[in-house]
Amino acid sequence: MTQNASSVVRQVSHVKRMRNLWIFQIIFSFVVATPVAHAVPSFARQTGMACEACHTVFPELTHFGRMFKANGYTLNNLKQVRDIDAAKQELLTLSSLPPISAMIQISDSWLKSPLPDGTGAPARSQTSTAGFPQQLSIFYAGKVAPHVGAMIQLTYANDSGTIGIDNTDVRFSNSMLLPHESSLIYGISLNNNPTVSDLWNTTPAWGFPYAASNATVSPLAATQIDGALAQDVAGLTAYAMWNESLYGEVGAYRSAKQGVLNPITGAAGPLDGTASNVIDGAAPYGRVAYEYQWRGHDIEVGLYGATFKLFPGGGTTSAPAALSGPVNEFRDLAEDIQYQYIADQHLLSVAATRIHESMRLDASLAAGTVSHANDDLTTTRVTGTYYFRRKFGASISHFSTTGSADTGMYPGGPAPGVITSANGSPDTKGWIVEANYLPWLNTKISLQYTTYTQFNGGSGNYDGFGRDASANGSTYLLFWLAF
Amino acid sequence: MLLGLSLAHAEDMDASGRLAAERVAIGTCANCHGPQGHSYSPKFPVLAGQQATYLIAQLQEFKAQSRGDADALGYMWGMAAPLDDGEIAGLADYYSRQTPRAGLVGDAALIARGKDIYQNGDGAHGIPPCGACHGPAAAGTPGSEGAAGFPRLAGQHVQYLMKQLRSFQNNMRNVAVMHGVAAGLPVGDMQAVANYLQSLGP
Repeated sequence: MTQNASSVVRQVSHVKRMRNLWIFQIIFSFVVATPVAHAVPSFARQTGMACEACHTVFPELTHFGRMFKANGYTLNNLKQVRDIDAAKQELLTLSSLPPISAMIQISDSWLKSPLPDGTGAPARSQTSTAGFPQQLSIFYAGKVAPHVGAMIQLTYANDSGTIGIDNTDVRFSNSMLLPHESSLIYGISLNNNPTVSDLWNTTPAWGFPYAASNATVSPLAATQIDGALAQDVAGLTAYAMWNESLYGEVGAYRSAKQGVLNPITGAAGPLDGTASNVIDGAAPYGRVAYEYQWRGHDIEVGLYGATFKLFPGGGTTSAPAALSGPVNEFRDLAEDIQYQYIADQHLLSVAATRIHESMRLDASLAAGTVSHANDDLTTTRVTGTYYFRRKFGASISHFSTTGSADTGMYPGGPAPGVITSANGSPDTKGWIVEANYLPWLNTKISLQYTTYTQFNGGSGNYDGFGRDASANGSTYLLFWLAF
Repeated sequence: MLLGLSLAHAEDMDASGRLAAERVAIGTCANCHGPQGHSYSPKFPVLAGQQATYLIAQLQEFKAQSRGDADALGYMWGMAAPLDDGEIAGLADYYSRQTPRAGLVGDAALIARGKDIYQNGDGAHGIPPCGACHGPAAAGTPGSEGAAGFPRLAGQHVQYLMKQLRSFQNNMRNVAVMHGVAAGLPVGDMQAVANYLQSLGP
């Protein structure tokens, strides 16, 4: 009894110690999830088609690009190494050259107002951060076997200082003709980020902003499907697309942690209470979309969603937080709409999504890290983009995350604030304006300006330590090469 | 000669060859050229009812990388590269069998002017009547041994026709006959003819 009680006390005090870690995890997951979407010159090499066939301007896909992806990245015009059996069944078709390509992002970020110095002294941080590279990626992107293709990305990032797995999508696909000359494309995707298998640029993995600074302040709140689990899960989804218009996908995601060890064996698993945000079983994912085209115009409307039951975990070897018992349940349901007009001179696209998340936080409530059993979040993004001759372009985007206040989840401390909320509200709103110049189709120079009208629940003194939402605004200059 | 061989192939095409071509047409070409060759985007030409001989010639030129207009480079050089003569003949056969239809009907005065140029030419600019080669209904001609064929233009997108006329004009698409016709054709006349052609049904 006494032992149990002391154990509980230890756990509770540990939970309190871990609160900052939990906040850190939220922030970290959001930073990691900052949309990092890519164009892959391997595909151009493989198909013999220029970027413009699949992209308006990379990484936004055209209808043809969506179909190329749905068909498993297998359209191939390279010389093949082949083998067949006696029945003329293909045993191997392998491109004679591997579809490898690279991408580099070099950036400079300016934060509008410097941060308090981490030392606690009255000094202030620098406002400008150079990223050289901010990110460097190597891709294998293309056909692997007759009906199998892959897009595998390895990324070095300057914040982690290491090379790690990035968005990965390995898929099998096939197609069949139906009566009345309609078509059915179907397949399965093995991937590591919910929505990375999706075909439109409305969903989180491929949505605007396509690149963002990793040297600014990120808000506390984000929904789970909005990248919180990116590269941290293994998903298997099955999809079908009828007549290039009606799309459906269902699947499930399990935790597949990177860089997490079992503390006893030192092996990659099994996961125990030292791992954090571990999916209980498998999380279901679903997507439906309908695309309609007319005279150069293309519109898509759809729904996507997932339910994640997560064990918060995140204990230490001396005080693990068991991966059993109550869970935090996140039900995410989102609507999206995309419009594109693509011509030689003028290209216009509008993409919007609204993600609604209902949370039932039994595990965190029991651990004392949240104030309510039920919370909710709604994230909305609306982005308009115009390009002239695929050379000069501009985007404007409004983003908003609002939800129920929870002083446990969005706490008011500790000092020096910045990533805190004075009122426990997650509400964050703002605008992104971006100007782009592409001297060549695979070279992009971007100047992006982000401004917040509200941050972590407030506009003036949002963090309780005197910082205003507008102070987190930033300017970001990016040089982005894909080759 | 090559054309003749491919034509013979198309005539002899068996059911499996037709099905294979249909699969490529519906699974790949339709991504841009639309179902049954009725493209949604005016950037991509309508292929429904196009002359098979013309389609074969173009696909062979894409494959040989000898057709040099911008979209040929960006899209079709890659698309046509892996096609063999049998597949090219099969695709040409498939699209030539699809029923063409009229495109959008625009400004009546512009169409009337375009019709006049199409049927009678424009003596002032040295433009011969288009219909002399492309046929009175702009359905094109298949050609025969010793006589060149001409493509169907009826129902084609204005945007695509305009781009081709400009490509002929500046020799990005190197066709001597059409360069001769388009070289002196004012833009207003191009638009008139293109609008007339788009409005034409089968």
